[in-house]
Amino acid sequence: MVETSGDIVKGVGRCMPNRTRLINYYWQRTRRNKLAIFGLAFIIFLIALAAIGPLFTLDPTEANFEETNIPPVRFTIERSVYNIETDDFTTTKISGTWKHPLGTDSKGRDMLAMIVSGARVSLLVGLIATGIAIILGTIIGVVSAYLGGWVDNALMRFTDVMMTFPFFLLLVLIVFIFGPSLAFIVLAIGLTGWTGIARLIRSESLSLRTREFIVAAKALGASDNRVVFRHLIPNVISLIIIMATLSIPGVILAEAALSFIGLGDPTVPSWGIILESGQHTLDTAWWVAVEPGIMLFLTVLAFNFLGDGLRDAFDPKSNV
Amino acid sequence: MSNVILKVNNLKTYFFTRRGVVKAVDGVEFELKHGECLCLVGESGCGKTVTALSILRLFDSPPGKIVDGQISYDSLNLTECSSKQMRQIRGKDIAMVFQEAQSALNPVLTIGDQITEQMKLHLPLDSNHTRERAMTLLSEMGIPSAERVMGYYPHQLSGGMKQRVLIAMSLSCNPQILIADEPTTAVDVTIKAQILDIFRELKAKRQMSTIFITHDLAVVSEIGDRAVVMYGGKDVETAPVSEIIGKPKHPYTRGLIDCLPDSSKSAGRLTSIPGTTPNPVDMPTGCTFHPRCPKAMKICSQKEPPETAISKEHKVSCHLYT
Amino acid sequence: MRKSWLSDYIVKRIIYSIIIAWGILTITFILVRVGPNSPADKYLANIAARGGDPAQVTAAVEARYGLDKPIYVQYFNYMGNLFRGNLGWSFSTSMPVSELIKTHWIYSFQLIFLSSLFAAFLGILIGIYSAVKQYTKTDYAFTFLSFIGISIPNFWLGIMLILIFSVKFGLFKTYYDTTLPLFSLDNLKALVLPVITLGTGMLAGYVRYTRSAMLDNLKKAFVTTARAKGLPERTVIGKHVFRNALLPLVTIIMFDLGSIVFGGAYLTEIIFGIPGLGQISFNAIFANDYPVVVAVTLIGTFMVLLVNLSTDISYTYLDPRIRYG
Repeated sequence: MVETSGDIVKGVGRCMPNRTRLINYYWQRTRRNKLAIFGLAFIIFLIALAAIGPLFTLDPTEANFEETNIPPVRFTIERSVYNIETDDFTTTKISGTWKHPLGTDSKGRDMLAMIVSGARVSLLVGLIATGIAIILGTIIGVVSAYLGGWVDNALMRFTDVMMTFPFFLLLVLIVFIFGPSLAFIVLAIGLTGWTGIARLIRSESLSLRTREFIVAAKALGASDNRVVFRHLIPNVISLIIIMATLSIPGVILAEAALSFIGLGDPTVPSWGIILESGQHTLDTAWWVAVEPGIMLFLTVLAFNFLGDGLRDAFDPKSNV
Repeated sequence: MSNVILKVNNLKTYFFTRRGVVKAVDGVEFELKHGECLCLVGESGCGKTVTALSILRLFDSPPGKIVDGQISYDSLNLTECSSKQMRQIRGKDIAMVFQEAQSALNPVLTIGDQITEQMKLHLPLDSNHTRERAMTLLSEMGIPSAERVMGYYPHQLSGGMKQRVLIAMSLSCNPQILIADEPTTAVDVTIKAQILDIFRELKAKRQMSTIFITHDLAVVSEIGDRAVVMYGGKDVETAPVSEIIGKPKHPYTRGLIDCLPDSSKSAGRLTSIPGTTPNPVDMPTGCTFHPRCPKAMKICSQKEPPETAISKEHKVSCHLYT
Repeated sequence: MRKSWLSDYIVKRIIYSIIIAWGILTITFILVRVGPNSPADKYLANIAARGGDPAQVTAAVEARYGLDKPIYVQYFNYMGNLFRGNLGWSFSTSMPVSELIKTHWIYSFQLIFLSSLFAAFLGILIGIYSAVKQYTKTDYAFTFLSFIGISIPNFWLGIMLILIFSVKFGLFKTYYDTTLPLFSLDNLKALVLPVITLGTGMLAGYVRYTRSAMLDNLKKAFVTTARAKGLPERTVIGKHVFRNALLPLVTIIMFDLGSIVFGGAYLTEIIFGIPGLGQISFNAIFANDYPVVVAVTLIGTFMVLLVNLSTDISYTYLDPRIRYG
């Protein structure tokens, strides 16, 4: 029988989950979503590929004009080659070999090597640019919600202005003005993609402040510190994780799109650049366009599956 | 006997969920006589709402299913008739009023639209007549300036007015039976009294046969003719209201009555029934009430009590009386 | 009494949009002036190739572009020019930027308009169907397909479509033919692949939003009330549920229009060779033709601003809770 308020507090204290149990709980819920697991598996595979792949592949920058435009393994294409001796075109069949499992491009560079090093670029860009966007967005969101008043007003107007710019157009403008070096592209993507995050973090922080469980905690005598650390932050962290997972594909695509239109860093072999060169050789070497595209597609798909699964797992109202 | 217009016979509605089978209604039986107000009483979770929804087959059908039983109305078995027949009965012969008027009304349609829509469906009247009829109903329910209210949206009305609109809506096609699901629960005391007045008038003036669902015995005593006490998906006691309140037989019914605060007693602890409502997926064996029953015997955990007739009008399901 | 409160709100929103517009122009100005690339660089390269004196050229160019004046004067000139509709001079095409815009905007417009129509119409229909048939195989199939739709990089999709339908099957031309009259069937045919490219991502998004908005509303109490009246299911879904789902949907669709469409249209135009604003911006980048790039960015941004404002205003009319607050 509950006799005194002391009993109530002890009972509530016993019910509050510790951090490992919470993580376990969310992990269990995520696990049940098969698509999310596929996403996670692919991402892990991609990270492994990016990390140790280059050790096993040929040099992606090595051009070999003897072996241009070879199709991937098991594919054969016909090509008409001008034969100087007979002054005519002869059609020869060129087949893929295991030396270049994914074929070569118009300069004879190995596709597999390029794809693997492209993975490294895309993942790094994805992680770092998203990191910048998240940090910037979270700081602005939290500061805005916490300080309120004219600071909040000014920051939110600024956010509104930045949000009105179409993301890609602004990115193109910035990279055009400041030059397409990889470091700068990463910075630019981070500096243009924080707006959505800032908005969400701010609204979540504001609503959390007045939510009943916070008021209840305070009524039970919890200090401000305790409220912030044990109640506010865990709720915002889950939001941050979900936002990060769902932002990474947009970032990777942004970098690829920039490379595709020629505003990428030419010294770096990203998937977008491969795709761009592939665009012009569609009839002679279709694989150069197809392969990086498939990788981009699968990567984005994987992150979307995972992010969606995480979002469902963290939402108490969804029945996972 | 020919007075009975609705008979629910051994109704079983189960919900098949991922966590197990919820036996929301597990063998409920009762009759509704013409012109009477029958109350379904019980705590939340006892199955009274699902029983009402089962009559009109309004529960969500993938998880829910009527697995057994018959509901006889007008020579039809409502558990088995086609969807088309069901749709013709809904709103026209049997109408239902729901609990929270705010969420039960569509926020983006006008009151007039919402009231006339079922009349246009069921009655052969043109739009002028449906409009007039709607306004007449609103006035009858005590809503002032009915013509203006027709053009209002739900959020512009107060809680009591919304509830009256809901009742007016349900009466629009002159149904034979009105099912009211806790219409006084979500409103404050003054509105509650007004709404009970409306139901009293319905009985007096229109001889409306009503199934009134509530957890509040005080309400039962005010407007009910007969009551069915439900617990754990079963009906445990059925009797005229005077006997339910005055001579309760089932320990649960007695517990409910004891819970009512009595201002004549001096200050002390309020009585409550110990324990909590059973887990619907994991019901106790035998009599579902036995873990909380002060008079529980050994047989109560082993066998389900059969229904015993104390008198012609009074039935109990309890081992004390077998 | 109520009407005037509403117009008050509208006036406030318009003023707010003007403030945002000012913010947009100012930030763009800052970006351009802060950048290391100055218009003089292009001339410098040319002059150096012809053996002229770089210092003199720099001075002349700066004088011409007013870069030698203090920054606030430059700012006022910039704002003043914009107000008068003077978007600068495009030196790569030797015509005023506004002329360039006038001749090319229609291509972007038809692409964006048709794609949005296609995406919204199909997307909403599929979304409603998917929500009503939740947990069935069809629903799972559509959900899976919509994941694919939002994940597929739209520039790659465009290339793949060209590869399959133009190169392999020869059904469509690989490049957009500008000689076709705009309102002809041939023009429509030429736009099929581009519209699919731009529209697919949007379509998938709309399917998901509609589905979730419908599902949210299907759980609500008024749906049971509607069924209790004996209404046929299609009326319940079409009249009751959908009208409520429409409200958040309209907002999301309009805001989506702003963020995703312009970037996607840019890329689609480039792939298919459609001479819209994206294409001319792309050409300008390689000619280092500043004013064009800046102008296209500003136009895109102002379009978004307009769309946001109209959404705001139309929402107050669509939601009776706001109209009759």
